[in-house]
Amino acid sequence: MNHVASTFESNALLLVGVALAFAVAMILAVVIERFAVAGHEAWLRRTTRHYTPLVRLALAGDPGARAALRRSPTWHRITIARMILIPLITDRDPARIADARELIDALPLMPFAAQLLRSPWWWRRAMALRALGAMQADGYTGPIVAALDDSNDDVRNTALDALADMHDPASLPAIVVRLHDASLHRARRGAALAAFGSACEPFLLDLAAVDTEHRLNYAMALGICGTTAARPILCEWSGDARAPVRAAAMAALSRIGVDRASVPFAIAALEDGDAAVRAMAAAALHGYADRDTAASLAGHLDDTWAVAVRAARSLQTMEAAGRAELEARATGAGLPALLARQMLWEAKASR
Amino acid sequence: MSLTTGLVAFTVVVATYFVAYNLSQFAMAGVAGRFLWRYRRRRNPRNLALVARLAAPPFVSIVVPAHNEALTIVDSIRALLALEYEAREIVVVNDGSKDDTLAILTQAFKLVEAPVAFVQPLKSAPLRGVYRSLVEPALIVIDKANGGSKSDAVNAGINAASGRLILVIDADTMLEPDALSRAAMPFLEHPDTVAVGGYVAIANGCRIEHGRVTDVAMPRSWLARFQIVEYMRNFLLFRVTCASGNGVTLISGAFGLFLRDALIDVGGYDGTAIGEDMDLTLRLQAYYRQRKRPIRIAHVPLPVCWTQAPEDWQSMRAQRCRWRRGLLQVLWRQRRMIGNPRYGIIGMGVLPYIAIFEGLGPLIELLGYIVTTVAFFLGLLDWQHWRVMLAASILFGAATTLVSVFLSDISTRKYLHPRDLALLVTSAILENAGYRQLNTWWGCVGTLQAMTGKTGWGPMKRKAF
Repeated sequence: MNHVASTFESNALLLVGVALAFAVAMILAVVIERFAVAGHEAWLRRTTRHYTPLVRLALAGDPGARAALRRSPTWHRITIARMILIPLITDRDPARIADARELIDALPLMPFAAQLLRSPWWWRRAMALRALGAMQADGYTGPIVAALDDSNDDVRNTALDALADMHDPASLPAIVVRLHDASLHRARRGAALAAFGSACEPFLLDLAAVDTEHRLNYAMALGICGTTAARPILCEWSGDARAPVRAAAMAALSRIGVDRASVPFAIAALEDGDAAVRAMAAAALHGYADRDTAASLAGHLDDTWAVAVRAARSLQTMEAAGRAELEARATGAGLPALLARQMLWEAKASR
Repeated sequence: MSLTTGLVAFTVVVATYFVAYNLSQFAMAGVAGRFLWRYRRRRNPRNLALVARLAAPPFVSIVVPAHNEALTIVDSIRALLALEYEAREIVVVNDGSKDDTLAILTQAFKLVEAPVAFVQPLKSAPLRGVYRSLVEPALIVIDKANGGSKSDAVNAGINAASGRLILVIDADTMLEPDALSRAAMPFLEHPDTVAVGGYVAIANGCRIEHGRVTDVAMPRSWLARFQIVEYMRNFLLFRVTCASGNGVTLISGAFGLFLRDALIDVGGYDGTAIGEDMDLTLRLQAYYRQRKRPIRIAHVPLPVCWTQAPEDWQSMRAQRCRWRRGLLQVLWRQRRMIGNPRYGIIGMGVLPYIAIFEGLGPLIELLGYIVTTVAFFLGLLDWQHWRVMLAASILFGAATTLVSVFLSDISTRKYLHPRDLALLVTSAILENAGYRQLNTWWGCVGTLQAMTGKTGWGPMKRKAF
């Protein structure tokens, strides 16, 4: 036992040494990191302060400022590129983008971005994609589309963002085809479609005609970028055997808005056996101020809650026809009456 | 077996436990460091702009339970209304406050009683009225009888919420302006996400204006300083490591974003749970994993919100004893998950770790202190041995906390002033000489309270911002 104790004691001393070394190393790491970052930030502040007026003038077309930027050391170029490109994330004014692209081209930073696209480090490839997308770099659609098949998922998703920013119609088929690619973030796929808007619709309709398996995705996509041209096919899909497809078709109709031809489909969907379909059908009828439609909707104020609340919201938008139905049901007790009173109160409060 | 042999055997057991714990902490530091590095790389202005570019960002209902919050509620609500996320509503639940919470809200936001219909799938104490604001359409105030727990108030808020996502916060939680955008991202990126938690930072010592932290600084109180480094260790080592392996078992009650349907599926918060936040997170994990449904609970490793830490011993003791009771209760309730492969990483990794190192930790640590001290005074242990044990314990504790200070500094860099950094480092070292042992003691008191069936929150002193 004494042997165990002595072994333990000698190891315990070793432990103390290791712990002390770790503690001291961590203190040093914190201090060194802080000094390094403080130094870098100070350099960044100085550099930014120095180049801000030059970048502003260069973007306005001042040849002297452009020449000064071209003379800048190469290790300042990424900072300068950031100063030019980061504002483009929120400001997508085409003229501003064109100015930025021209300036980046003049510096010249395009070859550098192309070089980064081939970097073994994923974050560098992603950075290059973001930059190319932000400035809508002509001639780079191909490499960006190719990046949709990158081995790194962050790079693939950044490529999708970049294509949304590029807004090059040539990339549209590649984006629409990847509508079903679950390795790309759902929201990014939606944002890319939203960026192109109704330009996606013909591709979606063509593909949907031959690819019935992914109809749900097409219906959801048409909910993002569909126009009145999609109504007939959405009405057709309201009879699909799959409930999620029927619900998505109605959800898309609710975004596009119904017309005289599509209203009967929505009213028929109100009687669907699936609550999600009924709820979306109720939402689809919003704004269609017609007495019979309002009466159909009012009959669903005591349906499942998801349906009832959408029916009530749609009635709220149906002017006199909806108001009459709500007023008729607002008296008495129970959830449907309370819902009707809420809609009437909100309409009055918003006035 | 002689007393000496027994003592040596016990010491070896404690030392093994101690080495295993510290090794796990350093392993976590590596995993967390990698996770934070990757998160930082992905966190760029273009990614943050994604939410703003969506045609229809997910609608979020922010549920704020308020019980006697007259001091802070208006500033809190104003800060929530100023969040950089448009698709949101705020549901304040006045949980039978005895102070002027409702009157102050009525005056500040021109509340009127209004008809608001909603189904109530979750049980809560009876509602007394529903109020809408004439100046802030996104604000709904539910007035209800006190249900005796935060869970009851939150459940009432979830019932009234119309968002697909529900953000549950405390009334005194101060959110970062972009907290919702950041927390919503995992839902947009991964369809299996059912909940998102975040790093809750301590606001003591910070400058606060209109319910928002505008300047970060270290507090004057050492108790609050110790809690700052303690939170760093918990949020940046353990939780980040769990998140990197999809094994999150706790979304803090101060900030949790949930799928409303998931909350309804599991029956909402449990009013009988002492640690209602951990109880809910584990029930979500259990519910989805039992049904073999995909589940992802994400963690935002940057401060998403700020909260007040107790600065007096009495509140601190009450809080720690309550946390301890909550932990033991939830471990007992979910004991079938521990070591059960059906629950994946939760059953086979995270919960056994929590049971061994958090469940048994305070008891083994206290026993270690007692036995070594008694043995020392009985002459069975020499002074050198005792000193070595104590030094190793303090130094390893300091080293792991310093790792989390380092991770915090490279990932968030909130404490910019050199004086604050010096205080952080000092707190990380001093925390291990007294504060940690006190926590161990409170852990044991909490265990005793759990065994004797004590309930309730205990005294908590509150301050205005």
